[in-house]
Amino acid sequence: MTDARVGVRAALAVGRVEPLPERSVTRELAGFARRNPMAAAAGLVGLLIVVMAITAPLIAPSDPLKTDFRRMANPPDARSFFGTDQVGRDTLSRVIYGARSSLIVAFASVLLGTTVGALWGVASGYLGGRFDLVSQRITEVLQSFPDLILAMAISMAIGTGMPAVIVAIAITRIPFGNRVIRSVALTIRELAYVEAARAAGGSALRVMTLHVLPQCVAPYLVLATAHLGVAIIIEAALGFLGVGIPPPTPTWGNMLADSLTSLVPHWWLVFFPGLAITVTVLAFNLFGDGIRDTLDPRLSPAFLRMMAGGRRG
Amino acid sequence: MRKYLLRRAAFGLSTLIGVSLIIFVVLRILPGDPLVAMFGLEGFAKLAPDDRARIMEDLGLSDPLPVQYARWMHDITTGSLGRSFFRGEKVSEIILHRGPLSAEIGLLAVLISWLVGLPVGIISAFRPNSLSDNVARSLSILFLAIPGFWLGMLIVLATLFWFNYKTPLVVVHLWQDPWANLQLIVGPAIVLGLGQGAYIARMARSCLLEVIREDYVRTARAKGLKEALVVMRHALPNALLPVITLSGILMGFVLGGSVAVEQAFGVPGLGRALVVAVIERDTIVVQNLVMLYAVIFVFINVAVDLSYAWLDPRIRYR
Repeated sequence: MTDARVGVRAALAVGRVEPLPERSVTRELAGFARRNPMAAAAGLVGLLIVVMAITAPLIAPSDPLKTDFRRMANPPDARSFFGTDQVGRDTLSRVIYGARSSLIVAFASVLLGTTVGALWGVASGYLGGRFDLVSQRITEVLQSFPDLILAMAISMAIGTGMPAVIVAIAITRIPFGNRVIRSVALTIRELAYVEAARAAGGSALRVMTLHVLPQCVAPYLVLATAHLGVAIIIEAALGFLGVGIPPPTPTWGNMLADSLTSLVPHWWLVFFPGLAITVTVLAFNLFGDGIRDTLDPRLSPAFLRMMAGGRRG
Repeated sequence: MRKYLLRRAAFGLSTLIGVSLIIFVVLRILPGDPLVAMFGLEGFAKLAPDDRARIMEDLGLSDPLPVQYARWMHDITTGSLGRSFFRGEKVSEIILHRGPLSAEIGLLAVLISWLVGLPVGIISAFRPNSLSDNVARSLSILFLAIPGFWLGMLIVLATLFWFNYKTPLVVVHLWQDPWANLQLIVGPAIVLGLGQGAYIARMARSCLLEVIREDYVRTARAKGLKEALVVMRHALPNALLPVITLSGILMGFVLGGSVAVEQAFGVPGLGRALVVAVIERDTIVVQNLVMLYAVIFVFINVAVDLSYAWLDPRIRYR
């Protein structure tokens, strides 16, 4: 009797095996924050900047385009914390709105460039042969231009404005996506399950999309986050050189360019937009490092070398 | 070694041909009518069709594209690179006049990056997670995030504010007035050098950390060598290879970055010429200057490959 009961209870206990801790999003995030407190903090700052960009009309103290000729080139004071520019526009509001153009360009160009590069890389790594050879040569040629100069030439050719800037920066990101993902695809191609898929009669397209591509997601994410900061700096540099998004739309780059129009630049017009760039890039870089450590620790040294050009030998 | 050299040189040359094709396609085929680019839409509308044809003829733009491309290639080999649309200045003159300044900036920047980056990386690697390592790493992370042109603007502002000093605005060559020349190049070189130095310190640190776990380094320590000797003789040479490659790649950043940094310092170098040409949509100048930057970049990469092969015999004999 008692034995049976114990048996029943045991059976019940077996039936109620503690479920594995759920892989809930919050738990994952908490784990990430514990392992990489720096990256988590950076991610939080990055998120705040994104929120700032989205809610710009709500939080900006005034219209970024509204000139005020009674308050021209005012140093920072209680009414405008970051001062005003030569035509009396509020620098703080312009910095907040500037986040919009910077982030849209950075996200769109990295997404576009890395995706195109990654798909191309999967194809050239998996297909190999002549296609791969030609792709490698094109990549080589694209990487023979300094980033900023290639972006300048392209945006000159296709015109200024946000879409042009996005395309110009995206094209400079393609070779990186191509090279890194190609090398991943090369190793995955040799794995047994891919061979099995091929043996089962899967077409090249099917094997690539269903079996190779999913394995490239982690390196893709690492790559994309790693390039966000670079994209922001290129966008700012283009704006600064006067070939990016043209005024009056405020961008951090063209604000810096504007500050040079007075003989002696006002320090607040130089300091705050640049600070915004630095903080944003720093946040994205640190967050990207954390993502890399989390998603694929094995990637780190090889990845670094890859970022340094992935030379043969 | 010679065979390797020839192979790399041929590779570099074929890359450059690809580069020239891309430049040509981007600048000649994409933008539509170059006259619109030159005169603007309204200016273009005011031109009579005869004038349009004549200007196109003058610029050599009415020939078929393959002919134009062939002529450009011919111009490059003879060194006469055509004239600016707007200023009538010869492109070769622009390069000879402003190029030395940018070259000095680039070389000094590389020198600074090694002088700063390498010691910092070594100190970091040999006391990992110490205070000095953490400071060095934080600084290098910070320098990777600061845009060089902004740092340049801040330096210009600070020197103007505290010393009431402004750099000269005209091209002064080293052989004309070394002191004025130095004033022109030192600012951009420091900014670019520190930015690169951050990468170099990071790379040197991670490579050294990999190398000092190797058996032969332990052997060197076990036989009682001084730590300094272990580092300099045994660990460093092997750790340096990736750093050299990185330095070559970083030259691309210096070349690109120098354009913005020259603008920030108001240095009248090649970068400034390129920016002005891009804004004025001066196709001939842009085409040749971009090509020049690419040639330099490819040349540096080939040189890096060669130095790599020279330092590591395994590569030569493959």
